[in-house]
Amino acid sequence: MIKMTKVTKAYGNLKAIKDVDLTINNGEFVFIVGPSGAGKSTFIKLLLKEIEPSSGKININGLELTEMKRRDIPYYRRNIGVVFQDFRLLPDKTVFDNVAFAMEIVEASGREIRRQVPAVLAMVGLASKARAYPHELAGGEQQRVSLARALVNNPSLLIADEPTGNLDPVTAREIMKIINLVNYRGTTVIMATHAREIVNAMKKRVITFRKGSVVADRAKGEYFGEV
Amino acid sequence: MKFRSWKNVIREGVKNTGRNRVMSMASIGAIMAALFVLGVIIATIINLNNAVAELESKVEITIYMAKEASEEDIKEAKSKLNSWEGILEAKFIDKDQALEDWRKEMGDKSYLLEGYTSENNPLPDTFLIRVENPQYVEDLVNKAKTLASVEEVRYSSDVVNSISGIARAVRFVGMAIVILLSIMSIIIISNAIKMSVHSRRREINIMKYIGATNWYIRWPFLIEGLILGMIGAILAGAATAGVYSLLLKKAQEPDNFLSIFGLLPLENIVYPILSLYLIIGCIIGALASGLSMRKYLNV
Repeated sequence: MIKMTKVTKAYGNLKAIKDVDLTINNGEFVFIVGPSGAGKSTFIKLLLKEIEPSSGKININGLELTEMKRRDIPYYRRNIGVVFQDFRLLPDKTVFDNVAFAMEIVEASGREIRRQVPAVLAMVGLASKARAYPHELAGGEQQRVSLARALVNNPSLLIADEPTGNLDPVTAREIMKIINLVNYRGTTVIMATHAREIVNAMKKRVITFRKGSVVADRAKGEYFGEV
Repeated sequence: MKFRSWKNVIREGVKNTGRNRVMSMASIGAIMAALFVLGVIIATIINLNNAVAELESKVEITIYMAKEASEEDIKEAKSKLNSWEGILEAKFIDKDQALEDWRKEMGDKSYLLEGYTSENNPLPDTFLIRVENPQYVEDLVNKAKTLASVEEVRYSSDVVNSISGIARAVRFVGMAIVILLSIMSIIIISNAIKMSVHSRRREINIMKYIGATNWYIRWPFLIEGLILGMIGAILAGAATAGVYSLLLKKAQEPDNFLSIFGLLPLENIVYPILSLYLIIGCIIGALASGLSMRKYLNV
């Protein structure tokens, strides 16, 4: 469970996040929507402990994020899968190695890697492209690799920052299917997005940010307001 | 870290070194230059110290008696010399004996000395004194000058002092140069590592998100620095050994000016220097990469 209590993040005089209180339960699927500069990125960075809140508390599954020691951050992040709009694959590694890389970092054995990587590639529908390099893949395929990398260590939380931002609507829908499947299997999903059609089609909880505050939080909500 | 992780980080470190070939070569060159100069200085100092030690071990005082010195004077000198502290051996060479020795030394050219007999012997009676310890020399020389009928007292400490002085100067100037060159190579290597880190910033960024520990990210770059330092050290060692053995060869040619120096054999010089090179090379490499990474790790 993610619980934010009176969280504010200020950069100088500018408050990127203002007095945010919210709770996200394990297994939930949550869209974070709002215009650019509303605080979505700051919200995600706070969850990843990339930045510290100026005030307030963030508690994740009983762990107080503001009290976590620096050296514990890597181990905390191993429970979180992250997907970005720009995929962030390593160009000189094959699809297989891009995914295996995430397991090497957490010191998995060669046997675990050889078992787990093909399984997760099959789940995202890329079993046949394991030996390809990122530049040989279409955008949607690259995002699947990125998803596979985020999921290969079985995170309990998946954070997706505009995962469909660079994709056409058909490809975007396929990515959403995979993310939905991941959520169905029990992983909490938090997805920041501008994609109105996707949000409206999925019928999930929608949290709307504007100027750093939560202005709407609805179960089975819809995207509303100007983009 | 687990063994397989060490394999990973070492592999990545080696890859990094190969990837930035130009910077790697510049770094190796810089470290090599610094270490080579250090080696020249150390080789010089070791040889000078050896020369000093050798000279000191055979510090001799030579007392030349005046021509008109009487038997009495010589007897008195003998007994006094035997009573003084710090004398290992006081050997008396009378002038007839000295002339005889000289004849022998000249060998088939001894005819040159034919005109000399005990009547007109140009050589003085002489005491050769071997001293227990160099610290007695000064005192003994002063006392020897007070003996009756002494013409001259000579000893080798002037040479010792000037060699020691040269060694001190070499050490001082040399160390300044070495420190300067070391700082330069640290700067060059840390730039090489910075470029390496910069070219892999995307990868580092991803690694941080996935949950790599700082040390897992840091090690490949430290290893890159260590590799640069080690290669530089080995090349500098080879260069030092090559140049030194060339000097040794030259010193063996009789009419080469180097032959007046008793150069120590190669192994006395190269093994201590090579191990020192490796230690310093590794320290410089690790230090440089450590310094260049601090600010890149904050994601």
